[in-house]
Amino acid sequence: MNLNLKVDKTHRYDAIVVGSGMTGGMAAKELTERGLQVLMLERGREVKHIEDYDTAMKGPWEFQHRGKISIHSAEEYWANSRFGNLANEETGEFFTDDLKNPYIEKRPFDWIRAYHTGGKSMHWGRQSYRFNKNDFEANAKEGIAIDWPIRYEDLEPWYTHVEKFVGISGQKENLEVLPDGHFLPAMPMSAPELYFKEQMMKKLNRPITIGRVANLTKPQPWHTELGRASCQYRSKCSRGCPYGAYYSSLSGSIPAAKKTDKLTVLHDSIASEIIYDEKTQKATGVRVVNQKTLAVEEYFAKIIFLNAGSMNSAALLLNSKSHRFPTGFGNDSDQVGRNIMDHHLGVGANATVEGFEDDYIFGQRPNALYIPKFRNWGTDKRDYLRGFGYQGGASRSDWKRGITADGFGATFKEDMTKPGSWVMGFGGFGEVLPNPENRMFLDKDKKDPYGIPMIVFDAAFGQNEIAMRKDMMNAAVEMLEVAGFKNVAGFNRQDTHLGLGIHDMGTARMGKDPKTSVLNKFNQVHAAKNVFVTDGAAMVSSSCVNPSITYMALTARAANHAVEELKKQNL
Amino acid sequence: MNRRNAIRNVALLVGGAFSAPTLMAMNHLENNLKASPAAFVFSDNQKLIVAEVAEIIIPKTNTPGAKEVGVPDFIVMMIQDCYRKPEHVSFSEGLASLESKKFLSLNSSQKLEILRQVESDSIEQMKIYQVQQTKMGDNDDREQMKEQAKGLPFWRLMKELTLLGYYTSDEGLKSSFDYVPIPGKLEMVKLKPNQKSFAY
Repeated sequence: MNLNLKVDKTHRYDAIVVGSGMTGGMAAKELTERGLQVLMLERGREVKHIEDYDTAMKGPWEFQHRGKISIHSAEEYWANSRFGNLANEETGEFFTDDLKNPYIEKRPFDWIRAYHTGGKSMHWGRQSYRFNKNDFEANAKEGIAIDWPIRYEDLEPWYTHVEKFVGISGQKENLEVLPDGHFLPAMPMSAPELYFKEQMMKKLNRPITIGRVANLTKPQPWHTELGRASCQYRSKCSRGCPYGAYYSSLSGSIPAAKKTDKLTVLHDSIASEIIYDEKTQKATGVRVVNQKTLAVEEYFAKIIFLNAGSMNSAALLLNSKSHRFPTGFGNDSDQVGRNIMDHHLGVGANATVEGFEDDYIFGQRPNALYIPKFRNWGTDKRDYLRGFGYQGGASRSDWKRGITADGFGATFKEDMTKPGSWVMGFGGFGEVLPNPENRMFLDKDKKDPYGIPMIVFDAAFGQNEIAMRKDMMNAAVEMLEVAGFKNVAGFNRQDTHLGLGIHDMGTARMGKDPKTSVLNKFNQVHAAKNVFVTDGAAMVSSSCVNPSITYMALTARAANHAVEELKKQNL
Repeated sequence: MNRRNAIRNVALLVGGAFSAPTLMAMNHLENNLKASPAAFVFSDNQKLIVAEVAEIIIPKTNTPGAKEVGVPDFIVMMIQDCYRKPEHVSFSEGLASLESKKFLSLNSSQKLEILRQVESDSIEQMKIYQVQQTKMGDNDDREQMKEQAKGLPFWRLMKELTLLGYYTSDEGLKSSFDYVPIPGKLEMVKLKPNQKSFAY
């Protein structure tokens, strides 16, 4: 290898964490709090908590296009814009320009990225649900893919650990399908929502709960110590919260890690390769390309945590080739880049709710109702595997109803200033089965602007997902009809692809057997145990619940193990 | 550097690396670029019609009207910035139709009558779009429409942009609603008689 090895003392750390998002932040916090000197590498620009939240306090009139996406932005953010306008003027700063960061689609893949401090934790949906016991067992029971190497009980204390730190508002329900967590006070339901909840329990024996969301309803001392305050119910979270009320790496884990004085963060630093030492059979460091200068530097550490986001963590493994790993770091099983999962969405139903004219809401709830999985659960059996949950709720329509309503003029203008009727709707999040043919890999010839091989996506929904979607729509219609609501209309969008759920996962799965998996039960690369992958890449199955809290729990558990192993000098 | 060159340069940078779907998307972008944004230029007369129709949709009452809060300029800017060729065609057809009826020189009841006709025609025209409200989880509402070669009808564009421009403007919003930028709490409350909507 033609390496210009300038071994600079200042480039040595105990641990390198690649990525500053949801799991990178958590890894840095857990490792620094256990005494390690940590270098965090962020490929994108620096965002400073609060002071860089440029749009946070703006009024609607301060956005030139008032939330609509301009043609110019639609070009720059073509993957974001293909379905809807995720990257609009309010939140676009926390999404990534697709033109400057190209990728190749053998089959269409909605790759939504967030290259800046905090990564996708800046704009996540904040919904936080534990996997249930069956989620860890279903693959083995049904003969799908491979078994998880851990069970719910292994992760349970780590769920509690991260939930306390993050701050999750929610209601205990004592449901096997949706295990309770460590909760701050729950947010209230509106009158039509309470009615709907009661009807569903009475007529379909189906429990409904308020969303479990990472917004502080009652900050605890360890939250306020980091400068985090109570939710102000503006529901403008994805602009960045100046109160630090929703959890992100910027409001939570990075400040906690910085308090230890053991964290160094480098921005504009794209990890391109893991450096491997054939003699010790360990990784020794990471090669980094500066996104502005294209200068290449090397950094060294005893342990390396990959938290670049599932697709980029897998790409980093695949791009790290050596005599020992000719097809990519830790890729003996040929599973790196395979088994891409996500949650499929854009399916559900809406209705209008008659009555409740006197009921209204003060404040905007940054949260919805949650209807836990009920298909293929208990005695229910379907012609597809796994299931889905719904998020949604009721609200009173506002002036936007005027766009499609007839009329104009003085009376119309006055009418629009009053709340309209209640509407209620739900959208599903469906489990996606792991399939080795759903994969990403590196193009042999084509490089990105930083000289790194471009990622090629070759993945799509399968028959199981397509069958589930039909039922997802019909079951939503049924519930709204059973509740007695009017104008019930189902929807099942056909223009979504894998990736759009922004829950992309599975590209370096955990497992018991190195022949069929990339990581062991503590997220260590089987063949090089000082490299840990603890983002979504590690997932063996997807469940149907939002995954971030599970990624964070896996990360905290792996970090704890890493430090114990370091102490025993096993790494 | 104009945008089309920017796209080409990225394509060159990656060595003409794009696969079929990506190239299709790029071509799609290029074709759209040809149609926007400078392709649609409003004549002075057309701008006057836009302003007049907007003011009829949201007239000045005891609160400001569309003209007063700058809605006409907003509509012109939005049509140029956010819409592509099909909407440019349908919007200009709508304006041409009003021009042919000498809209600006009609009296107010004649104007109302014409716009009522335009509205009822557009209800028919909108049917092919099969407009649906969808939800993307996390309480994210979006409107879904079946894609059509023909642009959205003039009336639908005028109505949407007038309401958007007015109810989200500084004066329009604050005079229409109870503006609460920082609620500080979340409460289920009872509506008071004649209560305005909260806006956040």
